Amino acid sequence: MKTTHTTVVTGAGGVGKTTLSAALAIAGSDPDTTTLVMTVDPAKRLADALDLRGLEAEPVPVPKVPGLWAANLDVTSSWEAIVRRYSEPDVADRLLVNPYFRAIADRFPAAQSFAAAETMSVFIETHRWDRIIVDTPPSAGGLDFYLAPARTADLIGGKLLHFLTGAQLPGRRFLYRFTGRPLLKVADTVLGGPLLEDVAEFLLDLRTMYDALTARAHTMQRYLQRATTLVVTTADPAPMAEVIRFFEDLTDIDVTPAAIVLNRALPPEWAEAALDPVTGIDDPQVAAELTTNLANWGGEARRQATAMEGLADRYQAPLVSVPWMAEPPTDAKSLEELLADVELSRLMAE
Amino acid sequence: MLDRDLLLVSGKGGVGKSAVTAALAILGARRGMKILAISMTEPLGLASHLGVDALAYEPTLIRPGVFGATVDRANALDEYLSLQLPLGRTVPTGQLSKALNVLVDTAPGVREIITIGKPIYEVWEEEWDLVVADAPPLGQLQSYLAAPQTITGLVPTGAVREQARRLQDSLSDPAVSGLLLVTTAEELPILETRQAIAEIDHERRVPIIGVLANRLFEPLLTDRATIEELVPSAAKDAALLHSDVTGQQRQWIEALPDDPQLPFLFDVRTPAEVAERLADELERVA
Repeated sequence: MKTTHTTVVTGAGGVGKTTLSAALAIAGSDPDTTTLVMTVDPAKRLADALDLRGLEAEPVPVPKVPGLWAANLDVTSSWEAIVRRYSEPDVADRLLVNPYFRAIADRFPAAQSFAAAETMSVFIETHRWDRIIVDTPPSAGGLDFYLAPARTADLIGGKLLHFLTGAQLPGRRFLYRFTGRPLLKVADTVLGGPLLEDVAEFLLDLRTMYDALTARAHTMQRYLQRATTLVVTTADPAPMAEVIRFFEDLTDIDVTPAAIVLNRALPPEWAEAALDPVTGIDDPQVAAELTTNLANWGGEARRQATAMEGLADRYQAPLVSVPWMAEPPTDAKSLEELLADVELSRLMAE
Repeated sequence: MLDRDLLLVSGKGGVGKSAVTAALAILGARRGMKILAISMTEPLGLASHLGVDALAYEPTLIRPGVFGATVDRANALDEYLSLQLPLGRTVPTGQLSKALNVLVDTAPGVREIITIGKPIYEVWEEEWDLVVADAPPLGQLQSYLAAPQTITGLVPTGAVREQARRLQDSLSDPAVSGLLLVTTAEELPILETRQAIAEIDHERRVPIIGVLANRLFEPLLTDRATIEELVPSAAKDAALLHSDVTGQQRQWIEALPDDPQLPFLFDVRTPAEVAERLADELERVA
């Protein structure tokens, strides 16, 4: 039995969460401990970098990196497992063939995040790994991952069903006797009668899982509170705005990020260097172009510094910079190099 | 690009589609057009690029020639219902309306059709020279584009079906509607964009009018060998990084059609500044 330490890597889409998760997993691996990295749809190049073509939901050992395992989130199969685990067999059979089951699992960002949180929890409960690194689905700046357990339970709790039927779970026919009610008249006009019956039936089945899923959501929340949370961002305005939103909403569920990771960081000294004229270049045309270029990039470095100072003033979490690599990592070695200058203990509790 | 009634702007999340949407609205207004910029999803991005804190459901004047709006689902549902319901029936309110919202969230196609319906209703109003919509990101776009057809497939007869058919006609008419895809020159955005082009071309639900590559770095005139020979300095490092990034971008961009490109903007601070500068650039290329 192993006590698993979990690191959750979160942030807006496109900031490099998946790459950083893989880099962290490699940097933290050694032959004596086991690490699992759980990714969400890695780019082909990243999967290639780890020699992992066609990565699936079931964890597999990563060739060439002793002690490291990898798995990819599969939302559909994860929801199938959830339904099998938390509902009666006959209800599960009905739900799995219901077209709305698929629609819900695919459509709700919260449903995708709930699947990710459930998959993480199942891996933690196997006690097979010393460390699990979790890459999160990008919706709502990663926030969904933390809020999904509660939200999904709410959804399945079914405001609509409460409204239609009261707190008691009714029989099927009981529901249809309400067709005289104004809601169903309106809904009938909008959706068409047969469609409405299908939806109602689906929601009734889903609701039988409510108690089990609510209990499960509490367990997930405990795992999330115990995990090391890393918030990844770049200095661009949109991901920065998501970081701020993330911190504001996280206080509700008692999660404190361990660090804010600035990805694609430029050397801070460029900001200063850009203020002086470039020397030691003979060709005046080259000197002029590289002066302008350094001024541009120095300006970016200054913008990054300002953005980071803003976050440092606002939040307690330490700031960690990961350098801007022009070429994305192509193998395990270059993934490890990404974190060469980073103090790993700040990103992974031992 | 501005030569139609409805311009949908989409792309993978994080590539700058809200900024481009705002820039196109600004560009239209500069040319004397009356523009409605409307957000079909999370409105904060479009709002900040238009330089305002929030967008309302009712079109609101933001600057000369540019009106802003957002498809708030509850409001859009009311409007959709009032178009659907027989005359004299009132749209439900309070508890009833909340319950209806849950139904709409669950039934396939309905949420999408009210979202894609709103910008098209605005086109039908004939009040605007152009409606430019910040559309859902690529991953979700298909289900929105397919919504009118999903509905006509589910509802055999009647006003709802007729409405859905009209929406579909407007969306697929090249004289009325067009889809502009925004991407950056990186692996995932490019691959997702190419995949989306193939699917959308195949389904023929909306004409694609082009792919805008955003945040492209200008290549340096100084050649790589000259840079490498320089003595170590910040200027050399910055030039090497610039040349590496440019080289990477060029590789990915080759996979795209030969459409206008937008530069990486150095030294911009606010989202509103980004949109203004992109409008300058679009003026040059569009």
